[in-house]
Amino acid sequence: MTPNAALERLVRQVSAQVRWRRVEHYALRGLFWASLLAVALLALKGAVGPLALPAAGALLVLGVVLGAAWGALQRTSRADAARLADRAFGLEDRVATALEWAERPDRTALVDPLVADATARVEALQSRHIIRRIVPREARFLPVPVVIALALMLAPALPLPSGRLPDFTPGSQEDEKEQRTGSGLLEERSRPEARERLRPPAFEEREFQARSGASTASTGGDLSAVFKDTSLSSQRPDFNSFLKRGDERLKLLEQVDRLPDLASDFTASQYKMVFRKSKALTGGLRPDQISPQKLKELLEEMERLGRKGGNWSGDVGEGMEALEGGQTDKAMEAMQKALDKMRAQEEAQRSGKGLRGGRDNERGGGSRDRRGGGEGGGEGEDFGEGEGLLPGKGKSASPKGEASRRLSATPYDVGVEGESRRGRKEGYDTNMTGRGGPMASRLNYLGVIGQYRKLMEDAITREAVPRDYHSQIKDYFQALDER
Amino acid sequence: MTDDGRVREFVTAFEELRAEVEKVIVGHREIINHVLIGMFAGGHVLLEGVPGLGKTLLVKTLSESLELSFSRVQFTPDLMPADIIGTNIIVEDADGRKHFQFQQGPLFAHVVLADEINRATPKTQSALLEGMQEASVTVGGVSRPLPAPFFVLATQNPIEMEGTYPLPEAQLDRFLLKLRVRYPAIEELNAIIDRTTQSRPISVDRVMSGAKVLAFRELIREVPVAAHVRDLASGIVMATHPQWADAPEVTRRFVRYGASPRGAQALILGAKVRALAEGRYNVSADDLKALVAPALRHRVILNFEGEAEGIDIDTLLGQIVDSVESTTTQAREPFVR
Repeated sequence: MTPNAALERLVRQVSAQVRWRRVEHYALRGLFWASLLAVALLALKGAVGPLALPAAGALLVLGVVLGAAWGALQRTSRADAARLADRAFGLEDRVATALEWAERPDRTALVDPLVADATARVEALQSRHIIRRIVPREARFLPVPVVIALALMLAPALPLPSGRLPDFTPGSQEDEKEQRTGSGLLEERSRPEARERLRPPAFEEREFQARSGASTASTGGDLSAVFKDTSLSSQRPDFNSFLKRGDERLKLLEQVDRLPDLASDFTASQYKMVFRKSKALTGGLRPDQISPQKLKELLEEMERLGRKGGNWSGDVGEGMEALEGGQTDKAMEAMQKALDKMRAQEEAQRSGKGLRGGRDNERGGGSRDRRGGGEGGGEGEDFGEGEGLLPGKGKSASPKGEASRRLSATPYDVGVEGESRRGRKEGYDTNMTGRGGPMASRLNYLGVIGQYRKLMEDAITREAVPRDYHSQIKDYFQALDER
Repeated sequence: MTDDGRVREFVTAFEELRAEVEKVIVGHREIINHVLIGMFAGGHVLLEGVPGLGKTLLVKTLSESLELSFSRVQFTPDLMPADIIGTNIIVEDADGRKHFQFQQGPLFAHVVLADEINRATPKTQSALLEGMQEASVTVGGVSRPLPAPFFVLATQNPIEMEGTYPLPEAQLDRFLLKLRVRYPAIEELNAIIDRTTQSRPISVDRVMSGAKVLAFRELIREVPVAAHVRDLASGIVMATHPQWADAPEVTRRFVRYGASPRGAQALILGAKVRALAEGRYNVSADDLKALVAPALRHRVILNFEGEAEGIDIDTLLGQIVDSVESTTTQAREPFVR
């Protein structure tokens, strides 16, 4: 045996050990991935048929064989094997250095002693396994697919989804199918019957009479009778009884004369149109800044409207004269008076059919005619007319009373006069009657409107207000906003 | 004598020399080993440590153990190059004629102790450069060889830096190894007290001649190094360079300049001496790792961040070695036990 032979033998042994460990390592990896495939195959046992089990077994074997082959084909270099041996046996790189330098042409004088020393040490070694087993990460999870595969082997085939789209064919076609099949079981499972039961009848076909359960007698051999015989099946919606016991407010629907006059769109009234134009003309401007030409056009339009029976023609005439005289402020006052009269007349024409509804005789002062905003009677007359139409005008249940009423009751409040500041105003005139027009109220009109709007929205949400009236109520508040 | 016998002779001589030094020097086994490694590798050694740890005594004892000339130069700021190299002086012969004659300086000795080398000016320090690298000095245009073996052992004090001139990198690179002399343990301190406070003087025998030292230096160079061990040395040296593509993160963060090729040479030569001193005919990876710190610690320059963070260069080199090992050997040997 040459001195190198022992070293070569050691290297071969180490290489063989490495190869075997690699075979184990990759075989386990192959087994794991093959077991996943086997699980998938067994899950499809129903579709694959009796071949699933042997195919799964073959997959496992194939995975192991392929993994082992891959590990066996991995090459371990001689130098690496020598280093592994050096490290494993504590040879301090003697074997690797000796094998490398023994073949070099420029070998030094110390190479021969090195080879001899390494050989002696290697021959004294006890052969043992020096290559550790490395269990692949996948192998720790190997029991999971194995257990699943065993369970799938023992279990019956899993039901598979049919992959069919839901059947949307009409009932008649289904009936034809039933006739063709003629199977009782299929009849029980057939969907058309259920669909027929759920199908909402046409409005003309609805029965509003309560039907007794006896009327739905079951027929022999019809399994659907199980459902027909239940107490629920006998309960049909009885709208009449619902009306009897239901919300009393629904009764209001029967009393047509008590309903508020919401059919007329007062937002498109003459007064509203003229009011919008006047606002557009005067918004934020002093009287001397208003275009006389446009003011004249507006007055002329009001006069034209007044010819149809309005009582504000006199005021419009005064305004026209003042405008011709160059007194724009007086013309504005006259226009305001005419506007007030126009509004009062319009409210009188609606006979106080506000949102509160109710009969005419129940609405206090509802039919009372109003005679001029500025020269009207007492406070009761002021606020009795059109009550409930606008915020601050109705009979409030609030112990503090109405805001406008308190203002008018206090001479100091009423007597607040003066020019409003320039620019956009936060205060709004809530005096809708025209009385005390020059004395612009400083009530926070928007705040009041906001409160009422909130109440309105709550009422719409909580109370049983007919849906058709929702839009009209909202239009009403929209119209208030525009003021 | 067979090669095997030469190796055994070296091992014996190495141990005898170490034993003689250890008669005087207590502890510091590793320092003594590295000093001897530096000497047999044909390099020079820089000893760094606080005063009173026995640096100078170690060198003096080593010189007494060798049948070699010894000179000691105490470096001071006013020391001039001529004071260590020598100079031409006017001498008068028997006929009364005057001529220049070269007066050798203390550098002309086999073993030179440059004590507190960082206290001399750079001009004087650089006078050592030619002698350390070329083993010769040039005076008056004449190059004069230094005696062989020529071995410089320098000491420096890491504290009391005021009034000192830290060695430039170029001169540090001339030292094969830089050794840090640490404080002795309490047992060693007790032994020092016992040994140095007795009336009986300790005698050191001369156990090795200069010729032997040169012969062993030749033997050292015949020690084979496996390719993977050499690759590890190259990898470690390259990993000290932050510009290297595969440099580890610690190098990129804390190192300004890496080790020079002299560092790789020092690693391999020192590892060869270490292997042979242990009776091995080849260099192992452990030899390399044992020499990394003394061979590279003065060749790796920390950057500002490294200095500011107080990075210990030995720790840094250890991390570099681990990083290089993990990317080479370990990665290729996954199945090793």
